[in-house]
Amino acid sequence: MSYYDIDAILTDAQKLPCTFELDVPGLGILEGNPGENIKAGTRIDLPLWLGEMLSIGARLGTSRLVTLDLPYALSDRVLNALKADPRTVDLRSLAPHFYSLSERVLELFEEEEMVDVLSNTFKKRAAQIADHAHNPQGALGQGADFLRGLDETERQLFRATHDSAKETRVWAGESKKK
Amino acid sequence: MAFPLPRGITPPEISFLAEMEMVTILPRQRLEGLELLGGPVEPLIPPRRASVPLWLALLLKRQRRANILPPSWLHPESLSFILDIETQYEEYKETFSPPPPLPGQPFLHDRGERAVATPRFTPDGDKYYPAPPFLPQNVARDHVPAQELQTLPFHWLEVGNMLLEAASEDLVDPDQTRRLLKELREVRMAKIRSGVDALDAAAMGGGGVALTGVGAIELGEGRRFISGVIDGLRRIGASREQARREELAEEMANGGYDATQDDDDEMEF
Repeated sequence: MSYYDIDAILTDAQKLPCTFELDVPGLGILEGNPGENIKAGTRIDLPLWLGEMLSIGARLGTSRLVTLDLPYALSDRVLNALKADPRTVDLRSLAPHFYSLSERVLELFEEEEMVDVLSNTFKKRAAQIADHAHNPQGALGQGADFLRGLDETERQLFRATHDSAKETRVWAGESKKK
Repeated sequence: MAFPLPRGITPPEISFLAEMEMVTILPRQRLEGLELLGGPVEPLIPPRRASVPLWLALLLKRQRRANILPPSWLHPESLSFILDIETQYEEYKETFSPPPPLPGQPFLHDRGERAVATPRFTPDGDKYYPAPPFLPQNVARDHVPAQELQTLPFHWLEVGNMLLEAASEDLVDPDQTRRLLKELREVRMAKIRSGVDALDAAAMGGGGVALTGVGAIELGEGRRFISGVIDGLRRIGASREQARREELAEEMANGGYDATQDDDDEMEF
């Protein structure tokens, strides 16, 4: 992951539910009422980069400021849906950078089962993506619903596969170069 | 990131490389021998057959100075035979028809046999063993072992397409050949795509993807998909991999795992 990777930056900006463990004076602006204090036990969605930093105190031995929770995109409900049928879930509406987000979350939480579910999801959907990418009509034919639900990683995979399939077709003289 | 071109090489580049393959021609005019960077070309004396690089053969063909003798695998019969193998046989459901054997190497089918590689010699007298792409896989030969008729060389699609384009009247049944090449390509492409399940093992380490017998163009087409899937799976499994490494390191540190390692350390002191 490079410093200038726009996808990494956007992943950092995704929200994670956090619970404050301490009273914080003057930080009410996060909750929507500026000038107030934040009380212990308040739940606020914070961006990944901020939540990660605030929760890190626990590892350094000091008392931590917030505890992290799993985001909705990786909640049990979503994982159950993914277990049932990975292909019908609209990952993009859950989180635009679903896989990058889960990669970061898995660094923070120990979730053995989630790794299995996600790898299986990615595999199943990758096979589907490849089938769509080899369709000469591209993203316009049937299956547009599925393609709209791809997250950013999957979109890049789709684009790469589609481009190489198209280049080969152009080389073989089966379709015209545009 | 900053480099605008995608990973891998493009189909035109692959077919450019394929033009180095040697093919057999039947010259119609005399031509003196040429000293080329890729090696000397023997003098062309009709009606004697000669082996020349594919690009030269195509050039001579366009100028109507030679006819190209199609390689034996580009015969509709052997192509439809290969297509049968790929589609009908259960054991080839997920694998591809084997590549031609290296000279002196036993076939994939009979693994038990010992390899008797016959070395060749450079002008300086050094020994060497030829390897693709410097093997005469596309020249016309009088005696082809029956087993070799079932194999596709590395550059089959490129050579086949170029010959169909430039020298279709030299082929046995161009329309049938074209149809068979296309079908073969579709069957094999579908196999590459359905191989995603095996990619998981490759991402977790210890596994691999069997791409034996896959041609250059097919590799070029599938490269970005395959590497993309492996990379995605690797990133999802990164945390587990990390945990596994830490466990291993801990076991090593506790000393119960590898006693020989400790001995080595003592030796150094």
